[in-house]
Amino acid sequence: MSLTTTPSGAEPTRARSGWHPAKLIQPFVLLAPAGIWLLLLLVFPTLLILELSLIPGFRLGQPAGAYGLGNYLEIFQPVYFQVVLRSLFFAVGSTLLCLLLGFPVAYWIAIKAPRRWRNLLLVSFILPLWTSSLLRAYAWITILRPSGLLNSLLGVFGLPGQDWLNRSPAVFIGMAYSFLPYMVLILYASLERLDRRLLEAAADLGATPQQSFWKITVPQTLPGIAAGGLLVFIASLGDFVVPELLGGASSMTVSRLIYNQFLGATRNWGFGSSLSMILILAVSIAIALLLKYGDRSSAQP
Amino acid sequence: MSQTVIQNQDVAETGTKLDVELRKVFKVFNGETAVRGIDLEIHQGEFFSILGPSGCGKTTTLRMIAGFEEPTGGEVLIRGQSMANVPPYKRPVNTVFQSYALFGHMTVWDNVAFGLRLQKSSKSELQTRVGEALQLVKMENLARRYPAQLSGGQQQRVALARALVNRPTVVLLDEPLGALDLKLRKEMQMELSNLHRDLGVTFVMVTHDQEEALSLSDRIAVMNQGRIEQIGSPSQIYEYPQTPFVADFIGDTNLFQGQVEASYPSSLQVVTPNGLTIHVKLHDNGQLAPGDSVVVSIRPEKIHVSSGAAPEQMNYYDGTLKNVMYMGTHVHYVVELKSGDKVTVFQTNRAMALPSLNTPVQIYWSAADCIALSV
Amino acid sequence: MPPTNPQNFSVSATTRRRFLQASAAAVSGIVLSNCARNLSGSNAPGTASPEQTSSSPSDSTLRIFTWANYTDDELLKNFKDKTGIQAIVETFDSNEAMLTKMQTGAGKAYSIVFPSDYKVEEMIKMGMLLPLDKSRLKGTENLMQNWQNPGYDPDNTHSIPAVWGTTGLIFDPEKVSSEVKGWDYVWDNVDQLNRRLSMINDVREVFGATLRYLGYSYNSTKASEIEAAYEKLLELKPAIATFLTNGWEDQLASGDLALSMAYSQDALNLIQESPNLKYIVPESGSSLWTDTMVIPKTAPNPDAAYEWINFMLEPENSARLVERLKISTPNQAAYEKLSSDLQQNENLFPSKAVLAKCEGIVPLPSEVTELYDRYWTQLTST
Repeated sequence: MSLTTTPSGAEPTRARSGWHPAKLIQPFVLLAPAGIWLLLLLVFPTLLILELSLIPGFRLGQPAGAYGLGNYLEIFQPVYFQVVLRSLFFAVGSTLLCLLLGFPVAYWIAIKAPRRWRNLLLVSFILPLWTSSLLRAYAWITILRPSGLLNSLLGVFGLPGQDWLNRSPAVFIGMAYSFLPYMVLILYASLERLDRRLLEAAADLGATPQQSFWKITVPQTLPGIAAGGLLVFIASLGDFVVPELLGGASSMTVSRLIYNQFLGATRNWGFGSSLSMILILAVSIAIALLLKYGDRSSAQP
Repeated sequence: MSQTVIQNQDVAETGTKLDVELRKVFKVFNGETAVRGIDLEIHQGEFFSILGPSGCGKTTTLRMIAGFEEPTGGEVLIRGQSMANVPPYKRPVNTVFQSYALFGHMTVWDNVAFGLRLQKSSKSELQTRVGEALQLVKMENLARRYPAQLSGGQQQRVALARALVNRPTVVLLDEPLGALDLKLRKEMQMELSNLHRDLGVTFVMVTHDQEEALSLSDRIAVMNQGRIEQIGSPSQIYEYPQTPFVADFIGDTNLFQGQVEASYPSSLQVVTPNGLTIHVKLHDNGQLAPGDSVVVSIRPEKIHVSSGAAPEQMNYYDGTLKNVMYMGTHVHYVVELKSGDKVTVFQTNRAMALPSLNTPVQIYWSAADCIALSV
Repeated sequence: MPPTNPQNFSVSATTRRRFLQASAAAVSGIVLSNCARNLSGSNAPGTASPEQTSSSPSDSTLRIFTWANYTDDELLKNFKDKTGIQAIVETFDSNEAMLTKMQTGAGKAYSIVFPSDYKVEEMIKMGMLLPLDKSRLKGTENLMQNWQNPGYDPDNTHSIPAVWGTTGLIFDPEKVSSEVKGWDYVWDNVDQLNRRLSMINDVREVFGATLRYLGYSYNSTKASEIEAAYEKLLELKPAIATFLTNGWEDQLASGDLALSMAYSQDALNLIQESPNLKYIVPESGSSLWTDTMVIPKTAPNPDAAYEWINFMLEPENSARLVERLKISTPNQAAYEKLSSDLQQNENLFPSKAVLAKCEGIVPLPSEVTELYDRYWTQLTST
C-alpha cells in the first residue's frame, strides 16, 4: 500500500518543480488584455458611480459633502417610484411584444425556411440595426402620427384610425422594432439547436403540431426565450430615445431621469448615480438568475 | 421438410390478421429513390425485423409506417386502414427511436406519461399505467430522474416504456439497441424478447445487426438497395437464402460461381471455372437447367476437415491448410483447394490437436448442406 | 427636501474630491462624452482624444465646440482663406453635455466654445473662461445696445454674443379657433387642443413660460411660485401631446399638432418650408437666449480663437449666418447688411416692446434647480 501511495503523493511536488516562470506568466498574458479592458471600462466606472451615489447631492465642480445614503432614500419618493414603475411597464411590454413577434419569425427561419436562405433572411432581419436609433424613432413618428402612414393604410382597408403616437403603444412599437433583431437572433440560435427528433417523438406519442409546440418546442427553447427576453428587457430599460420621442408627455423613464441628473439642469450626479446603481443592481440580479436557473430547464440527452 | 414446419409454427403463433401492410411502396428523396416498391405483410403479434446494410431504405420504410414520411407511391395500411394523409399523431403506432429522443425537460415519469396525458387519461389511470410501464422496464425507482441523469441502457428502457404505455397496435423500433455496448445489448435483447412475448404486441424492428435480427425475430425482411431480397423466418433466411446477397449478408459463407452441368430430379451438379465440381441437393422444385449460371453457397460450419476418407456422395476435396484461427468455442480454418479456391471452415472446438499450417488436408460437405442460387 | 449643505467638507473630503476629480476626468470623461454623443444622434464626428491634440498645438488649427449647423463648409473655408487657420468643428446638443465635457477634461482640445448665456455665467463663476483682451478684438462696437452690457456677462468680459433668438409658439392660423397672441389661448382651449400641443423638452423653458404667464419671473426662485406654475401646467396636461425640442416639426406641418412651443430658429426654418405656419412671441413675454463665443482657460490655441471671434464679428459673416439659419444677430452692422425682408421680420427682430418683456434664463442655486427638476419629473410622469 505504502508503495503505491508514495509516488502518487509525490506527484504534485514533481509537477510543481516542473513549472517554468513562463507557465506562471501565461495566464496573466492571456487574461490581461480583457482584464484591463474590463477593469478600465466596467469595474472602475461602476465603482466610481457607487462612490458618487454615496455622496448626497454631489455635483461636478462643487465641493463634495460627507458620505450618506440620502441619494438612495430619495428614490423612495412616490414620484420617482412612479418613474421606475413606468420604465418597468415599457420594458416588460416591449419584451413581451418582441417575444410575440420574434418567436414566429425565428421559428420560421430556423425550421421552415429553406436552409440556404437562412443566413440571408437573418441578415435582412438585422439590417434595421445598422441605422441610427434616433432616425428610426423619427421614422416612426411619421408612420404613427394621426395623419401618418399607418392610418392612411388602415383607411385603405376601411379600418378605424389609431391614435398611438405620444402614447404607450407607440413606445412598445418603437422599442419592439429596435430590439426585435436581438430577440430573433437569440431565438433562432436556440430553435436551430432544437432536436427535431423530439418533435417526431411527440407526434409519435399523439401530440398534434400545436401540442408539440407548447409541450416540447417552447420548453426546449426556454433558455433562449429567457436570454432573449432578458436582453430585450435590459436594452429597453436603458433606452430613452424611444419613450422620449414616441411616448408623449407622460413618458419619464428611469434612464431619462438619470440623464437629467447628469446632463440636465439639476446636474445632481449623486442622485443620478444612486439611480444608476439601482438599475445596475436590477440588471445584475436578472442576469444572475438567468445564469443560475436558465440552463436547468434545458435538455441535454 | 423443415421449411414447412417453421411456416406452420408462424401461423400458429401470430394468427392470420395483418397489422401492417405495405403495397408497392416507393419513396423518392430529391430524385434519389430510397425505397423501390416494397410489399410487406406483418402479422398481428409478430416480432418482425427489417434487416439490411446502412442506406438500404429500412429506416425510411419504418418512418413511412410511423408517418414521418409519406410514400411517393404505393400504400401503407395499419389494421386494414389506409394511412394516406394520416399524420403520425393519429396512427396507432409508437416508436422507440434510435437516439431515444427522450424529452430532456421532463422527468422519467413525465416522459412516460406524455402520451397518456394527451389522451386525457384520468389521474388514477395515469398513475396505474405509468407505474406498470415503468415496472415493466424496471425503472420504477428512477421515475423522478431526468433523462440526462440516466445511463444509456436506462434511457433505452424509458424510451421503451414511453412507447409501450400507450398500448399501441404496433411498436416500431429503430435500431433500438444500436447505441448500447455489447454486454448491455445482449441483456436488452433478452428483455425485448421477453417483453414481446408477455405483451403480445406487434414489434417492427429495424436493425443492421443480423445476429440481433436472427435471435429476436419471428420473421425477417432482408433489404438491399431499396428492395426486399427475402422475407422469412430466421432459419429460412439463414439456411435457405434465396439470393447471393442474403447468403453473403447473413452469417459467413463460402460462395462459388459456376454453371449447372447436369440436372437431376433432386440434385444438381455445378462446375466452377476453376474446375471444381459441386453436388447440390435441390430444395425447391428447381427451375435450374444445365448451362444456367449459379452461385453455390456453403456455410463454413457445415464443412468438415479430415485427414481420412470421406463418406460417399459428399463433396470431397484435397487442399492445404493455409490459416488457423483459434476462437475458443471453435476454430477457423482457411483451406486452399487444388483448384486455387480458398474455403473457410468452422469447427467446434473438441480439444483436438490443431493441424499445422501448410499440411495437406481434406474437406467435405453434404450435398444437402449447400444451396445453388440462380444469378 | 433641502439638499445637504455642500460647503461642510473636511480634509478627508478634499482628498476624496481629488480622487474623484482625477478619476472622473480619466474615466467618466470618456464614458460620458460617448453617452452624450450617442444621445445627440451621432451627428458629431468622433471625439478627439485630448492628448492627441493638446500635445501638438499647432498655430494652424483651431478646434471649435459648437451647436450643430452653426458653421458650414463655406464659412470654414473663408476663415482658412483669410487667416490660414484650419478650423475643426465638433458639436454638442445641450449646454449641460458641453459643460460636462469641458469639466471632465474631455474638452481640452477646444479653443472656441459656444455656450448659451446662462452657461457663460456659470462657467465664469467656475473660473473656466479666459478673460477677453479687448485690445485684440475688432468690431465689438458694432454690437447692438442690448448686447453691449448683457446681464449674463456684464461688459462682455468673457464672451462675445454670436446669435440670439426667442422662444415662442408656432401654429397654423387656419387651424386655431381664435387669434393666438400668447399662452392665454392655450390655457383657454385645453379641451379643444386635446393632445395637440407640443412643448420644448426643457424644464426651465416650460416652467419659465408658465411663470411668465402667471406674471412671475422666468427665473423665479420662490417655491410657491414654482408650485403654482406646476399646478397650472397640470391643468394643461390633457392638451400636451409631448415634450419635444426637435421632432415636432413634421407633426405640426401635417396638422397632427395644432400648436408647438419652439425656439425661434427652429420655427422660422420650418416656416420657410411651410409658409402657412405662423410664429409668435407670447405677449406675456418669453425667454430671450443668446449663444456666445468663449475661450476656455484650457484653450491650446487662444491666438486662433481671437482670430475666429474677430472673423465672426465681421458684418458679412454674421449676416450670412442670419440668412442661412434664420437666427437673429446681435451685430448692428450685420443687421444693416440684411435684406429689408429679413430686417422687418418681427420674428427675427421683435419690436423693443416685445423684447422688453423677454428675459434671459439665468443659472439658479442647486436647491432651486432640484425643486424644478422634481416638479418636472412629476409633470412628465403623471
